[in-house]
Amino acid sequence: MEIDWKSYKPLLIPNIPNLKDIDVYEKNGGYEQLKKVLKEKAHTPESLVNLVKAANIRGRGGAGFNAGLKWSFMPKPDGGTRYIAANGDESEPGTFKDRVIFERNPHLFIEGAILAGFAMTITAVYVYIRGEYRDQINMMQKAVDAAYKKGYLGKNILGSGYDLDMYVHSGAGAYICGEESSLMESLEGKRGYPRVKPPFPAQKGLWGRPTTINNIETLANVPLVVKNGADWYTSIGAKTHPGPVLYGISGHVNRPGVYEFPTGMLITDLIDKVCMGVRGGKKVKAVIPGGSSTPPLRGDALDGVRMDADSLRTAGSMMGTAGMIIMDEDTDIVDVVWRISHFYHHESCGQCTPCREGTGFLEKTLIKIRDGHGEMRDLDLLLDLCTQMEGRTICALADAAAWPVRFAVTRFREDFEKRVKKTVYALA
Amino acid sequence: MPEIFIDNVRYEFDGKPMVLQFMLDQGLDHPFFCYHPSLSIPANCRQCYVEAGTPVMNRDTGSWELDESGERVIRYFPKLMTSCSLEATDGMVIKTHRTSELVKRGHKDVLEFILMNHPLDCPICDQAGECPLQIQTYKYGPEGSRFEHKKVHKPKRIKLGPRVILDAERCINCTRCVRFTEEISKTFQLTIISRGDKNYPAVAPGTEFDDAYSLNTVDICPVGALTSADFRFKARVWEMNQTPGIDITNGKGCNIDVWTRDNLVLRITPRYNKDVNDHWMPDFGREDIRRINENRISKPQIKLDGTSIRSSWNNAELSLAEAVARVKPEEILFVGSAFSSLEDNFAFMKYAKLVGTDEVVFVPNIVKGYGDGFLIDDDKYPNTNGCRLLGQKEVSTSEFKKMLAKSYKVVISLEDNLVGREVIATEDLAGKYVIYFGSNNNETSAIADLVIPISNSVETPSTYINVDGRAQRTTPAKETIYTNRRLNLEMSVGRLDRFGTKFDNWVNDKNRVDCIPAWEFLDRVLKLEDKQNGYESSEDLIHELATTNSSFSGLNYNLMDDEQGVVLNDAAKTKAKTA
Repeated sequence: MEIDWKSYKPLLIPNIPNLKDIDVYEKNGGYEQLKKVLKEKAHTPESLVNLVKAANIRGRGGAGFNAGLKWSFMPKPDGGTRYIAANGDESEPGTFKDRVIFERNPHLFIEGAILAGFAMTITAVYVYIRGEYRDQINMMQKAVDAAYKKGYLGKNILGSGYDLDMYVHSGAGAYICGEESSLMESLEGKRGYPRVKPPFPAQKGLWGRPTTINNIETLANVPLVVKNGADWYTSIGAKTHPGPVLYGISGHVNRPGVYEFPTGMLITDLIDKVCMGVRGGKKVKAVIPGGSSTPPLRGDALDGVRMDADSLRTAGSMMGTAGMIIMDEDTDIVDVVWRISHFYHHESCGQCTPCREGTGFLEKTLIKIRDGHGEMRDLDLLLDLCTQMEGRTICALADAAAWPVRFAVTRFREDFEKRVKKTVYALA
Repeated sequence: MPEIFIDNVRYEFDGKPMVLQFMLDQGLDHPFFCYHPSLSIPANCRQCYVEAGTPVMNRDTGSWELDESGERVIRYFPKLMTSCSLEATDGMVIKTHRTSELVKRGHKDVLEFILMNHPLDCPICDQAGECPLQIQTYKYGPEGSRFEHKKVHKPKRIKLGPRVILDAERCINCTRCVRFTEEISKTFQLTIISRGDKNYPAVAPGTEFDDAYSLNTVDICPVGALTSADFRFKARVWEMNQTPGIDITNGKGCNIDVWTRDNLVLRITPRYNKDVNDHWMPDFGREDIRRINENRISKPQIKLDGTSIRSSWNNAELSLAEAVARVKPEEILFVGSAFSSLEDNFAFMKYAKLVGTDEVVFVPNIVKGYGDGFLIDDDKYPNTNGCRLLGQKEVSTSEFKKMLAKSYKVVISLEDNLVGREVIATEDLAGKYVIYFGSNNNETSAIADLVIPISNSVETPSTYINVDGRAQRTTPAKETIYTNRRLNLEMSVGRLDRFGTKFDNWVNDKNRVDCIPAWEFLDRVLKLEDKQNGYESSEDLIHELATTNSSFSGLNYNLMDDEQGVVLNDAAKTKAKTA
């Protein structure tokens, strides 16, 4: 599979000046798909869900679940309120892709959200944006106001009789509120504690009503699918994980940034060609492919690894949010893992015991190793603690905290062994 | 009937139980902290892990798929499941720590994590001895700790409210207290603040945890994080005896446990009764220990020339008999009491009848708007329905005042602080000979000419009929000077009593009160004239009541004990009258 990425024209963030203004967006074919669906009745809600399902838009928020399939879990409308919570919390370290959508193409997302709303007979969309994105929240609010003014939102959209409201909501600085169920708790004004599933959000979500939670980027893909069809969409990038994706690349590369390319790009291409190589021409030591919680890959095991769910799973990691962190050969892995661990210790909501206590235990043990007081047995302890945390909590934060540690210790064991005290036992 | 297999044993179940509750119902021991049967299920402590699997259904045939040996194919969940939030389904297979090493390890792992930042101060912790964390650590916990780092330090001795004190370091964040204020008392006064291992419950700035039910959070706290300001450092749990009783500070009649040491009641905790109070009780019911322990009347008192002097029991009996004999029966006003037990009221009425009058009145203590619709009722007295059923005449305050103005020369009042609760003023009783049966010194006993100290609800078996017409009874929890051998058989015997420690109920006389049950005293008075009923224990009174009064037919102590109270249909009807 070869991807012609050099001639690829960005679709999510096309290079058009001032696209964030609604007039420019409309001039460039914006809101055409909405008109097609709502005015010309090109789709019924069911056919729209089926179209998105066939396009296999895999959620861009990390789990990579088929968005259309998720939509189809919504129960039949009963006349009551139904919600979309659009997740723009983006708190995973290494991830900064939604920010580009807010800044450069907010109307694409809004159009996608309205289409999704129509497909699921939604009455309100909440756009949950992390509180630190103050500017982006203002931009988004401006865009939503403009869409209201043009009649794309509000009562009787484009004369179709369909009503939809959209609210921009600011988070308050907690990582955990990017988890879908604690995002709902946070929207309801409660403490951001993830909920126990079942019941799933499609049955009982916001205020006990059916709710679908989608990532901002996922919803931004919807107008593209409606415009060009499912076959076109599945032909882009990797077969099982198609579509354009925003790679947020950071770390020791010459040109870090957000790049839009098809899925299934070779990691080596992304580093060497897109980002113009590692700083100072050094070797790559480690790559975290999709945000800090995904297992890091060794720099010498990147050959042929592509940025799609299947290829990354084979390589022993995950696609996550495609927020890649590149580390060169001078990087101190112990320090990196400690810093990641510190983050999860700080951000654990404290609801479940294994995560609340385990994240602290991991961090404290890593500090011990980092400061040179560690012993060999501490490495086993770290792995043991990971086993005690993985899959034992309500949400996936414990896994997210444990994986970087587990895979760093197993994949970069020599770095850890160098840091711990040599224990020599005399045979007497 | 759907079936479930727990550790290879087959059980049948009804409805949709959660696996943990089902196991507990079957008497299977399983560790848990955050789960509480009367609260929502947050599944956050992660202690109640089980391995769970469901049989695979063959969709074509509609029957279970079988393997080569004819056994059902079981598909296990990939992760350990929290049994509290796992709904039982037909054919489900559960492996607990008894059969699964993985579950055993899971329990150990979670306890290791919980104990990591938990201070190991059991020797000075009030919860020790009744601490789920302590018990479960002994049963399921790891043998040592691998944690070599500094523990997280959090605030200690925070006064959350007037009655509850928090030690945040001991808190394991089960959120039971928070859920209690959200779901049961609905005051929303508590929340968890901060994040991760710095979490602890707190009140909003500028407010305090003054919930009328706040002390229930102390009961449900699975560690010693929340302690009662009143009971803090008073006693070790194992030094006390626990006796079932009834809360008599309110008409609701919450079921309680009375904790005694050396004949002092040290604390009162709610006892589960799904029909009355569930697991809860209001805070003021617990403060009743003051009434029980302090300011008690010990030995009868007779007023001579305006000053009260202590008298012997014999003298008190003669004084009462003389006072009654001096006047005509119509000149005696018998005042029953909705505060006293059914036994005492019944004996009181029988005495009145033998003296020669049928009329016994009582003044109920119902304050409109005092109740909260939950466990606090408008009726402040525990036995209003009992008095009604016995046939006492219910009179209002003004009616009672009018009656007193008539030509009564003697007033005999069963324990009811009529002066203190401003039903009457001291002047209303001027010129009358007042005989008062009571257990505590109060405004009414102060003006009485003859005061008979009587045993209260924790010293003698007492039956009360609550606002819903439910007859419930207490068991004696502490000794008095007077000993009734039948009564002592009723007494709960704790570990201390069996081993004869310095805290048992019989070693010391210091805290014993010289009082007897009112029915016993009245019977002794009747004995002077050879008219006694010959009661040996309070059970005899209930037996006689049950056989002579149709409203009470079938009532007896065993039934009340077994059924956690008996609803009397006639009493249930009188409820309508008050409402």
